Amino acid sequence: MSFRDKIGKELMFFDGGMGTLLQERGLKAGEVPETWNILHPEIIQQIHKEYLLAGSNVVSANTFGVNSFKCKDLDYGVDELVDAGVRLVRNAMDEVRVQENGEAHPMYCALDIGSIGKLLKPLGEISFDEAYEAFREIAVAGERAGADLILIETVSDSYEIKAAVLAAKEHTNLPVVVTMIFDEGGKLLTGGDVESVTAMLEGLGVDAIGFNCGLGPEQMKALLPQLTACCSLPIVINPNAGLPVVVNGQTMFTVEPDAFADSVRTLVEMGASAVGGCCGTTPEHIQKVVETCQGIKIVPVTDKKITVVSSYNHAVRFTKKPLIIGERINPTGKPKLKQALRDNNLEYLYKEGLAQEENGAHILDVNVGLPEIDEPVLMREAVTGIQAIIDLPLQIDTSDPVAMEEGLRYYNGKPMLNSVNGKKESMESVFPIAKKYGAVVVCLCLDEDGIPETVEGRLKVAQKIVDTAASYGIAKKNLVMDALVLTISTGQDNARVTLETLRKIRYEMGIHTVLGVSNISFGLPDRVKINTAFFTMAMNNGLSAGIVNPSSEPMMAAYYSFNALIGEDEQCMQYIETCARQTDKEKPQAGAERKREAESGALSLHDAIVKGLSESAYQATIKLLEEKTDSLSIINEMLIPALDVVGKGFEEKKMFLPQLLMSADAAKASFEAIKETLSRQGKNSESKGKIVIATVKGDIHDIGKNIVKTLLENYGFDMIDLGKDVAPELILKTVQENNIKLVGLSALMTTTVVHMEETIKLLRKNNAGCKVMVGGAVLTQEYADMIGADFYSKDAMGSVRYANGLFEKGEL
Amino acid sequence: MEINRDVIERAINRKEIYRYLGYGTNEPESCVLALVDEALLSLLTAVKPKSIYKIYDCRTDKERVFVGGMEFKSRNLSGNLAQCDKAAVLAATLGIEADKLLQRCEVVNMAKASVLQACAAACIEAYCNLIQEEIRIAAQKESGQTLYLRPRFSAGYGDLPLTAQKDIFRALDCTKRIGLTLTQNLFLYPTKSVTAFIGLTANPQNCHVEKCKSCQKTDCAFRVCEEEERKDLVQ
Repeated sequence: MSFRDKIGKELMFFDGGMGTLLQERGLKAGEVPETWNILHPEIIQQIHKEYLLAGSNVVSANTFGVNSFKCKDLDYGVDELVDAGVRLVRNAMDEVRVQENGEAHPMYCALDIGSIGKLLKPLGEISFDEAYEAFREIAVAGERAGADLILIETVSDSYEIKAAVLAAKEHTNLPVVVTMIFDEGGKLLTGGDVESVTAMLEGLGVDAIGFNCGLGPEQMKALLPQLTACCSLPIVINPNAGLPVVVNGQTMFTVEPDAFADSVRTLVEMGASAVGGCCGTTPEHIQKVVETCQGIKIVPVTDKKITVVSSYNHAVRFTKKPLIIGERINPTGKPKLKQALRDNNLEYLYKEGLAQEENGAHILDVNVGLPEIDEPVLMREAVTGIQAIIDLPLQIDTSDPVAMEEGLRYYNGKPMLNSVNGKKESMESVFPIAKKYGAVVVCLCLDEDGIPETVEGRLKVAQKIVDTAASYGIAKKNLVMDALVLTISTGQDNARVTLETLRKIRYEMGIHTVLGVSNISFGLPDRVKINTAFFTMAMNNGLSAGIVNPSSEPMMAAYYSFNALIGEDEQCMQYIETCARQTDKEKPQAGAERKREAESGALSLHDAIVKGLSESAYQATIKLLEEKTDSLSIINEMLIPALDVVGKGFEEKKMFLPQLLMSADAAKASFEAIKETLSRQGKNSESKGKIVIATVKGDIHDIGKNIVKTLLENYGFDMIDLGKDVAPELILKTVQENNIKLVGLSALMTTTVVHMEETIKLLRKNNAGCKVMVGGAVLTQEYADMIGADFYSKDAMGSVRYANGLFEKGEL
Repeated sequence: MEINRDVIERAINRKEIYRYLGYGTNEPESCVLALVDEALLSLLTAVKPKSIYKIYDCRTDKERVFVGGMEFKSRNLSGNLAQCDKAAVLAATLGIEADKLLQRCEVVNMAKASVLQACAAACIEAYCNLIQEEIRIAAQKESGQTLYLRPRFSAGYGDLPLTAQKDIFRALDCTKRIGLTLTQNLFLYPTKSVTAFIGLTANPQNCHVEKCKSCQKTDCAFRVCEEEERKDLVQ
């Protein structure tokens, strides 16, 4: 019987700790346990054998810490350590078979994969692809060496877990089990909760999910109900022998085998399909567990039939209470967003996202499709960039299958995908990738014959899609039907057909629904009136999620009112809260800045910038423009002089960094007003010059660089911000492609100033013809001279002065 | 005492925040003070600080330090830990949420981001101060005598190389226990994190907190602030 046939059908036992046993046998602090696969194979094999004799069905090879990153410092490679590790388990299994004399219990060898120990980009240091590659190497080596399954364990970053699972599934045929380390609050170290990672892992098609390490069996008891409530897969639980206690600098685990086994028995009764141990547990612990739990019938594994999507840190379920999907990140009909996408200005996207989150969106639609851009590349950047700062689950919205896969692959969580339709071609291209990445798919009720005019016609397409999805192994719970909205200005029956279709799909077919609500009013005046009425009607007819603009107050008012009316808003608290927030907005009291704006009254542009008041600066600029003041003279005669007052104050230590930045933000608001007016007139604002700015390779602190960028931007420079941890080659390439005359580099520590020097050398070697200014905590004038920089900026204003000097005096 | 949000909030030294922002001993204007309030509120709501430490036997000679099984070559650390029979190795972090919050803030409001950055730095300091008191009490209980703490000493201070981080990570298993990672260039990530040695000594003479005075960089703005503050106290 294979592992896949057995797991979830009858109780299985995993093994226990390895590290603590090796320390008892002489492993020194700092010594890498996996090297013992080669240095002391007899000890490792003996431990495996003890676990098998204690009754373990699954024994993990001693390969937890093997990966190409750690092997750099070792005398052995990944293949060698994995090969030896798996062989030792197999040898032990052979010995036990002989000993058990033909009546051996089922035994499986797990390739044990642990965390690489590095955080992934965009927050951390290594890329998703680098992590994936490291896991691929281990997984392939494990299968080749004869492992029966892959156990990914003690992991605590959902993104890293996704890389590991994809590597295992794309390059081996082995079953994959994932056990994660949660804290007592049920959180991964990177913020994920039980339901969010469970949703992701079920979507990726792993064979079993569970907890290990971090906690003892008692704490896991408290956490297990969260998992059994949402998990449709077999559950594996491998606790530590209690919480760690440090005695004389040594970490100890003190729960004894008897007590451990009693707690573990409860875990089985609560729903675990397989149990074992982790840190501090020994063959005695496992033997007791086997004795205590042998023969218990496991709780049957059932499909929870939950429609759910997740971000890196939380899950969003489709339930009776409708959801809001924010529609604003979509260039259709939005010239500013189009321009931002062409300029690769993702910050604009982020702001749209943050605003929608603040206004109550639960999921964000992300569409970056424009004919003249590389959509797959931009989709990937947008998805990872948005996820670095916004916690909401995303709906990847594209018709390009390549962009679709890029978005899904690099997404952290269980994504939503917009969309598939009833056309054969669409289903054939979308369903395989939706299945692979576990997306919840939006299905449009149209096919080769167009949008059916009747309810029956649309339901027929819906049924076809459901059946075809099933043939790809995609369950109904992972489909969300779009009944399609056609404007009532072209057909007076259009709303009725949509609403009836909606009701039937939701209540007769039992599938959740979605609509692009505002399409209903195309071609009509005062669209929001129709939109809100239709939104309420749709929700009342079974709409599970509306794709709407969360910044539209009437739409959100309809939404909160509906929830209150159907009894999905306890004591109407959410309704009351949003009303209160609304009043706050009207009387600008919320936030310190708004308050100050209100108190200051109408200010001149000069004063608004000096005081750092963005809204006032914006209004003052609008007023000046209305008075037909020329935009260039606004910039040169008011905006820049005002910034200079603050800049000078800063240099003389009469004003300080936060004020400098507030003024910069105010100047930015003024620039925005000018740009908007110019673009309405079909003109572009003039730039003083283009500057490339970057935090150098290996360096992950970029607030300093961002401060400098903000200031330079508001002195009228066009900034190309390459971000942090930027390779010298990319800087060179950007300089050459954009004919750049000035580069700003930032580094925080001595270890990365090296890369600053490397970058400067590369620029010089290739005659890039640009000046380089440098700054950062460890830099000094001497250091800057030593590495060949043209200018050392001791603070943010220094770089402004230097750039102004260069560009204005035409020194370039 | 449980180190919860309120305890950390009380332990945060606001003067330190102003200093990080470049104000020296000046009090910021009211709009910046309001930003500090806002930033502290969002920070303390978002972060869940975590730490791990171990207390080891400690021995020093002129230029070497032996802590647990580890050996470090550093005159400065040796000076710091002289007369300490025990030393704690500590790792603490505000966690990934602090970095997320900062990145968010940098997109919409750079002024607030600069303030938030300073608040986060003060917050991790405050948290370390609380943890080290916990360490002192734990060590005291074990040894049965009154113990005093030496100032925290981190890799990269004086002549203690940054590579000492690797030893600290091995000893504490930081990544698995508190989610703290070390990059190839020896940066800590999440960024608002601290690792340090803390000497424990029974000699009260040896415990006075020298802070800036023990540092060789004499022209630093923080040192000047600290000296002025001390003058204020004397007056």
